[in-house]
Amino acid sequence: MPIKLLFQMSVRNILRHRRRNGMMLAAVVVAVAAVVMMNSLIRGMQQDMADAAVENLVGHVKVLAPGYRDDPGIQKNFELASDWRPPDGVAEVAGWAMRVRVPAVIMSERGTRGIQFVGVNPRQEGISFLSSARMAGESLKDASDGRIIIGQALAEQLETGLGRRLVIITQGADGLNREAGFRIAGLYDADGEGMEKFFVFTGVDALQKMVGAAVFTELSIRLHQEPALFALKEILVELFTGLEVLDWRELEPQAAAMFIFADAAVLIWFFVMMGALVFGLVNTLVTSVMERIRELGMLRAVGMRPRSVVAQVVIESSVLMLIGVAVGIALGLAGIFAMGDGLDLSLWSEGVESFGMRTLLRPVPLFDDVLLIALLSLGLGVVASLYPAWRAIKIKPLEALRR
Amino acid sequence: MAEISAEIPTSRRSDGLPASVLAIAWRNLWRNPRRTWLMAGSIAFAIWMLAFSFALQKGAFDVMTDNGARLWIGHAQVQHPDFEDEPLLENLIADVPRLRRSMEALDGVVTAAPRAEAAALVSAGERSFGALVVGVEAVAEAQWSGLAGAVAIGRYLDGAGQAFVGAAMARNLGISVGDELVMLGTAKEGGVAAAVAEVAGVFSTGSAALDRSLALIPIADFRAAWNLAPDEAHRLVVVVDNVGEALDTAQAAAGAAAPWRVLDWQALMPEVKQFIDLKLAGLYFLFAIIAIIITFSVVNAFLMTLFERTAEFGMLKAIGMRPGSILGQLQCEALLLWALGVVLGVTVTLGLVLWLEAVGMPMPIDPNEVMPGLNMPDRIYPSMGWGVASVACLTLLAGTQLALLVPAVRLRRLNCVEALRTQE
Amino acid sequence: MSDVSVGNGVVVDCAGVSRTYQEDAVPVHALRGVDFQFARGDFVSLSGPSGSGKSTLLNLIGGLDRADAGTIAVDGVAVNALSESELSDLRLHKIGFVFQSYNLIPVLSAQENVEFIMQLQGVAPGERAERAVESLASLGIGELAHRRPGELSGGQQQRVAIARAIVTHPVLLLADEPSANLDSGTTEELLKLLRRLNDDRGISILTATHDPMVMGYAKRRVVLRDGAIVEDSAN
Repeated sequence: MPIKLLFQMSVRNILRHRRRNGMMLAAVVVAVAAVVMMNSLIRGMQQDMADAAVENLVGHVKVLAPGYRDDPGIQKNFELASDWRPPDGVAEVAGWAMRVRVPAVIMSERGTRGIQFVGVNPRQEGISFLSSARMAGESLKDASDGRIIIGQALAEQLETGLGRRLVIITQGADGLNREAGFRIAGLYDADGEGMEKFFVFTGVDALQKMVGAAVFTELSIRLHQEPALFALKEILVELFTGLEVLDWRELEPQAAAMFIFADAAVLIWFFVMMGALVFGLVNTLVTSVMERIRELGMLRAVGMRPRSVVAQVVIESSVLMLIGVAVGIALGLAGIFAMGDGLDLSLWSEGVESFGMRTLLRPVPLFDDVLLIALLSLGLGVVASLYPAWRAIKIKPLEALRR
Repeated sequence: MAEISAEIPTSRRSDGLPASVLAIAWRNLWRNPRRTWLMAGSIAFAIWMLAFSFALQKGAFDVMTDNGARLWIGHAQVQHPDFEDEPLLENLIADVPRLRRSMEALDGVVTAAPRAEAAALVSAGERSFGALVVGVEAVAEAQWSGLAGAVAIGRYLDGAGQAFVGAAMARNLGISVGDELVMLGTAKEGGVAAAVAEVAGVFSTGSAALDRSLALIPIADFRAAWNLAPDEAHRLVVVVDNVGEALDTAQAAAGAAAPWRVLDWQALMPEVKQFIDLKLAGLYFLFAIIAIIITFSVVNAFLMTLFERTAEFGMLKAIGMRPGSILGQLQCEALLLWALGVVLGVTVTLGLVLWLEAVGMPMPIDPNEVMPGLNMPDRIYPSMGWGVASVACLTLLAGTQLALLVPAVRLRRLNCVEALRTQE
Repeated sequence: MSDVSVGNGVVVDCAGVSRTYQEDAVPVHALRGVDFQFARGDFVSLSGPSGSGKSTLLNLIGGLDRADAGTIAVDGVAVNALSESELSDLRLHKIGFVFQSYNLIPVLSAQENVEFIMQLQGVAPGERAERAVESLASLGIGELAHRRPGELSGGQQQRVAIARAIVTHPVLLLADEPSANLDSGTTEELLKLLRRLNDDRGISILTATHDPMVMGYAKRRVVLRDGAIVEDSAN
């Protein structure tokens, strides 16, 4: 039988029972739209964690002295010209930053805290959260700025504020403790309180002077696009022999693991939704077949092949799914659009931050995912039609006509 | 119209349903067994989905909470009302021995142990780092604290003048067992607090924050160095035997601990509590969508039923059955369908939960690599959440009954003359 | 039940009854001002070609449809004025229906089908069973009481339907094409049965049919054509 005719018959059979098939379509639409929306939220979460990991002074790739990760301190350093730049020919580099990052103790009259003291060149920090964080007071002017900026949360803990002086103690390159006073230039407001309590910034030259060595402890490079990471890493490994070149997945194994987790979550959501859907779909299709026993029997009697009967049922299911998927995806995307800037998760801020996300969850619809959902749904439509189709070819022409 | 109603006897009419209506509904369900099984299956699926995933989550949450609490924080703490927000040295609790006795007298409390703490500069030789120095009562803590059990080298505190430090701190300071540790801070009333201790042991918990920043010393040494009275402390850490009852115990403790403040684990580990809430919110959203999908399916099934039984309903209307009673008949069918789904769903879930309760369910990926700080167990022992199962059942009951609204409208409009003609 | 209005012996009184349907926006005049009286204890056949209005008249009398004009009184009750639920009550208590396709409830046994209508009336269980058994027995199918409709022949099913219709002692039994699905032998048996009910028990029967055999068994024959009565004669 020509496929066109089969197709026409299937569509007309769907139209014959508008209410029933409309209801089924509504269920497909709700399921697909929900999966699309949830999927984009999970992707948003994933993106968020990766971004946060990368922005959190990590960058896509970091160059460190061997042993720094186990024992972070000024002793684990390397030398690098202050006007160093990535070799030409490395595409996609968004920026780089050379820093000194050492553990330190900060003290006010009211309290003492352990922190990470980071010397930065403000002009290079476009790649980290520092450039986008809200700031009270002033930012650091340049690499030789000897003032500090601290997190809002730390300022509250230390009961201090703008313009006040704090004492910072850290180890010098010679292994002896250094103590120096720093004036607070600005207070930054990061997404997570954890960061605000953890990082204190000053000009990199000022910090080098304090520890007494013109060295760096880390070079962080950020890319425009992650796929370029591999090539860059290879170049850097060759360039910095004897140093460790690590990408963010190695530096932030938690965030990387969450990536795999999120990939699985997308599929779990899909199968749970479709599991709920498949009962109704099979019911609709079987009913449609059973109602047409006489008709199908007649068609068999006049010589329609079983194959064509199966095709008719499968096409009917697929057309139903196709329309449902199309409308569902449209509705899902509309829902994503309606979420606008994102979902506010501040109700769960600490829980959210504890696994490296921001409190504003932005949906990120990915074309590949939507395509996958569409294809899986259509596949499910075919699978769900197998039993009804089997029922249909079991119909014996004579018996059916006799009914 | 009075004379008319007098003409037609209505008084004896049972406007409710005939007694056998349930039996009729049950038989009607099996007129199309395939459809009934499909619909009951979808209801069972939804109940299973929510109840089972909740059971898994609940099992995971309980272990997560308990591990988190037993590592270091405890199930509840008694603190000065301001201490949680402002962990200052002077925000102390006093009269600790009496407080401790009243806590330990509470039902379910295993132990209550005092701690005193302050941020300090710890140094060994030339190296110094910021740390949180905590004075603990070693004997009491050793009974339950995961930290005390996480010894990497050496041993836990067992005498005066000792320190028990995190592995990262030890590495950073370049110290090991037997080395000397100097602690410097600000004592009560502003003086300098200084203490020297010999490292008795090094712990490694896997939690970066604890391993990097914590140094434990005997509480007596702490009180001496920081100038605290012998009955003063910052926290009284309460440990219970059953994490499921920890919140109730904390509530009971709040009364006994006045004027001090009692924080339960939800307040002490807000990230755990919020993580749980966020997970549950996702689960409920998923379930809401599934309930909608299933309601659609059930509406559909009833529309088919109505379509196939139009002539029957026409006849029932013709012989004088009111639409309301016919709807009642359908409601009964929906109720039985739902009940069948519930029995199926709850049985499957309960069976699965009971089985997994015994053998435990391994996690697909080791969660401790994902979130070390949250102390996820690698095996989950789910426990049946009857509350959530009831929510699922009731939601679906509402859904299946609401699903009848669509056929109900058609039923009311049903013209019996035409309905009877559908079979000719 | 009040018998005040039954004194004149008229069970059904139709005066100037009209009914017009809209079929695809074209008005179809099913009945055009029909006057019709039906005496208690009579057995009347309504006949006529398709579209003559016989079924419409039957449905109007049975309270399944409403007239556009004219009045219909059944057992002295003005049917036009009744609400939907009052109509339900009228049908339940005063009229027995026998349908062309029997229309038994497939999941109930013969006896349960007969009992069902009494359940709607609120008859006590004991009395219900007694009356159902008696009714089935009087129609010669007492031994089939526990079979379901699917296990009965067409003629047997129609007998169960009649048992269901008469068990409530209606003032009027309405039968719409009762023989349409039966062979001639069974039809004859059925008609003899109806005639016996009419003769022996005085049950008033009104039937719409195009089967000459049915007309032959009726006492009075009314023929409709194009929505009007064209012939009205005693057999």
